[in-house]
Amino acid sequence: MKPPILLFLMAIAFTSCQPGDHDDELPVIDMSAADAFPLNCATVYRGETFEFRALFTDNSELGSFSIEMHHNFDHHTHSTDATQCEMDPVKTPVSPFRWIENYTIPSALQRYEATASITIPTTVDTGMYHFMVRLTDAAGWQTFRGISVRIGDR
Amino acid sequence: MHKLFLNESVKRASLVERKMKDLIRFFVVLLMMTEVVSLNAQVKKVVPREAWISVSSGTYGLTDLPESSELSKSSESSESLDLPRLSGLSGKVTDETGNPLPGATVTLNDNRYGTVTDRNGSYQFRELPQGWYVVEVSYLGCEKSSRRLHLPFNQQLNIQLKQEAQQLQEVTISDYALQRSRQTAASYQYADRDFLQQHESGSLMQTLSRLPGISSMDIGSGNSKPVIRGLGFNRVVVAENGLRHEGQEWGHDHGLEIDQESVERIEIIKGPASLMYGSNAIVGVIDLKQLSVPARNSHEGNAEVKVASNNQLLGFSGRYAQRGDRWYWKARISGVDYADYRVPTDSIEYMSYYFKLKDRQLRNTAGYEYTAGTTVGYLGDHLKTHLTVSNVFSKSGFFANAHGLEIRNSAIPYDASDRDIDLPSQQVNHFKIMSNSFWQSYTIDYQLDMGFQHNLRKEFSEPLPHGYMPVPPDSLERLFSKSSASAHLSATFRKLENHELKTGVSTDYQHNERGGWGFILPDYTSLNAGMYAIDNYRLSEKWLLTAGVRYDLGHISTGSYRDWYTTPVDGGTKAMERALELSRTYHSLSWGTGAVYAHQQWQLKMNIGKSFRMPNAKELASNGLNYHMYRYEKGDSTLKAEESYQLDVGISITLPRWEVHLSPFVNYFPNYIYLNPTAQYYEAQQVFYHRQSEVFRTGGELSVLYRLSDELAAGFDLEYIYSVQLSGEKKGYTLPFSPPLNSVFGLTYEKARVGRFSKAFAAIDVHLTAAQNNIVPPEKKTPGYQLVNLRTGATLKTDKIPVQFQLQVRNLFNTKYYDHTSFYRLIEVPGAGRNIIASIQFQLN
Repeated sequence: MKPPILLFLMAIAFTSCQPGDHDDELPVIDMSAADAFPLNCATVYRGETFEFRALFTDNSELGSFSIEMHHNFDHHTHSTDATQCEMDPVKTPVSPFRWIENYTIPSALQRYEATASITIPTTVDTGMYHFMVRLTDAAGWQTFRGISVRIGDR
Repeated sequence: MHKLFLNESVKRASLVERKMKDLIRFFVVLLMMTEVVSLNAQVKKVVPREAWISVSSGTYGLTDLPESSELSKSSESSESLDLPRLSGLSGKVTDETGNPLPGATVTLNDNRYGTVTDRNGSYQFRELPQGWYVVEVSYLGCEKSSRRLHLPFNQQLNIQLKQEAQQLQEVTISDYALQRSRQTAASYQYADRDFLQQHESGSLMQTLSRLPGISSMDIGSGNSKPVIRGLGFNRVVVAENGLRHEGQEWGHDHGLEIDQESVERIEIIKGPASLMYGSNAIVGVIDLKQLSVPARNSHEGNAEVKVASNNQLLGFSGRYAQRGDRWYWKARISGVDYADYRVPTDSIEYMSYYFKLKDRQLRNTAGYEYTAGTTVGYLGDHLKTHLTVSNVFSKSGFFANAHGLEIRNSAIPYDASDRDIDLPSQQVNHFKIMSNSFWQSYTIDYQLDMGFQHNLRKEFSEPLPHGYMPVPPDSLERLFSKSSASAHLSATFRKLENHELKTGVSTDYQHNERGGWGFILPDYTSLNAGMYAIDNYRLSEKWLLTAGVRYDLGHISTGSYRDWYTTPVDGGTKAMERALELSRTYHSLSWGTGAVYAHQQWQLKMNIGKSFRMPNAKELASNGLNYHMYRYEKGDSTLKAEESYQLDVGISITLPRWEVHLSPFVNYFPNYIYLNPTAQYYEAQQVFYHRQSEVFRTGGELSVLYRLSDELAAGFDLEYIYSVQLSGEKKGYTLPFSPPLNSVFGLTYEKARVGRFSKAFAAIDVHLTAAQNNIVPPEKKTPGYQLVNLRTGATLKTDKIPVQFQLQVRNLFNTKYYDHTSFYRLIEVPGAGRNIIASIQFQLN
């Protein structure tokens, strides 16, 4: 009784194992261009608007991105950059700046020059912040970059 | 395991039987077949300590307090009726010099019938159906005897047993695992105390992961989640003596909360098991048994101390049991305390950030666990019952630099001590009361299992602001307090000719409350009830057919949750409602049917079944930022109950020198619940939402054992899983945490006596694991690796107290490797480095 069924099962088991043609590659945040901003240890100023600039690429299709900025007065780290910036002493936040935004990318792109304007009010605390950029592709792969920036005054 | 699948007494019946036959014939059309991997066979076929005691005392039972159906076989009672076509068998068991042996165990046909000899060494079976029988007689210290005879031609059989050359403990049973396997069409696996001791690792699941098809999802050195054939979480049921263990199975970063020292033997079903266990038993069941009964008028105990080098673990356990005539009690206590564990690397690179490790130790992974339990039991003529109360308390730290996916440095002086537990950490207390009662009447065996459990789990993290959340007031990030009560009543009809019919009802209630500043799961209450009927039909001596059906009704209601802080919305601010009040009802019909063919060296099995799982509160109602995984998780209240269809085949060949077990399976989910990573963001975090998709899975296990000599055996185990999503946004992708192709080459040397030592063994296992390149976001491809493990041990027989030594070396060459199914894989933390584990156990009688 069994041999035909078994052979059939084996056939299913071993023919169904060809690798899928799905996307296995993460998108890339490229900040090597001359106008890419902000780079690690950059300073941005209270009462001004700065422009985030980066090149996003993906082997298949880009998804969307987000930018989050939070204070690093306690010296935690998310930095994906090997270089350490000069730190201020640890301090207690009074009115820390916070930026949490989601951004869309037009569909079907493999390459996108991203920009976003971020305005820093005059009333926020100065000091070291983390500038987090997160990028997905259409398949749901995510990559992120953690950049240390300083909010200062001119 | 499945008590239900146990084939059973063969007596009388008429109408019922004919109807059953029709039903069975119908099911047979669907049919399928076998498997059994008794890896155990390769390791040991020796009755655990408890066993010989019960044998010697005249209590029936190979190892344990028999389960209901075993009980029924045990005492062919005196209420016998003389019916036609039935015959008796009687005789006397003596030693070589002709002295009667009282209390010898006499079993027929793989324990389908059993009795013990009386004071004069005599035994008697009444009302046996006519036919061929294999009679097996065992007695402490004697070699086992096995005869074949035909009733009614031979009604008298006297047996003389030879003195056994080996130690007293080593009453060999004729492969218990194989026998149990022949009584169920499902894919069955078994591990006894010897196996658990020889392979003991940091957690129960790490220990069991030596078995093909079983793996563990590790979180540090002391916590692991069970995985059967690549699936885990709420798709595996862990049960203790048939009652489900109720913890926080949905969560990533905690383990089983079961004391591995307390487990006496483990029965595993790899395959659909909702029929017996209800919701969630989709890929299998791990049933932990603690049913041993001390010998009449005896007391015994043991004490064990163990140490491990890698995480400087120190552990102890003690056990004591005492029995008068009918009453007995048992008590056990254990504890482990361990430091941060070591990995074979000086630093960990994650997200292009380097964590320097002090002394190659993974900071803040220390922990401890203390457990205690006590059992009171009664063994009557008709009623056998016991009540167990136990408690497990554990606390352990999480790797400080990246709990979940977050990278974080902290002012906490983690490296000051490798034994302290700083933040982040978790603390769990699991309290359990359970009882199993067996009532035996002439025609029906009843079993009643009841349990109450309380799982209190706390997760502590540094109070830090995240997103719009300000600095929280304390370090209690998450608290879950889950109370559950369950009951299961079954009746087994054992006087039906060639049939064993089992019916049952079960119900359970759960209430889970949350606390802490981190929201991930709303409060919920669930109530489930199920009823089932399973028939085992003994078609012939070679064929066993099984079929069963079950209906379940479940209800879950979740509570509302609002953030304790406000979020800016549309120019204003608002405390967001993260979970809505929700009430859902599910019902499901599960079924299974199969056949077992066992003849001489062959065992063939086929089983097909449908299992189901009700969506859990997290899948239905979560709606918030998970700051361990750095993602936004969204539930879906419209999810349907997940269903799974699986076909299992098993082929076993047992020859004097060879054993081969092959167990392929094919599995299809029309609506697998999948947490899908999307391209979208919510409050700057990636959105993951729950969706249902079609999933196809296949694979299986191969085990080969070759006995080179009486002492030396070579083994090979292979495990392969392939899964693919057939629909939905991740069509073509696999499922998360799919184990890579892996195999173990083992060489085991066992010798009954070496000088003053007995039960001496030495073994080497070479684990070869292939790369896993079939991944799904957010996983990482994992390269293949090889690991070598050694283990050795022996028992030193002194005048009074036998002392058992065990020594293990895991990851002998301190190889740096990544375990694809480890929770820490995503943050590039390699598997543990070399670990030398030594234990010494004193047996007190």
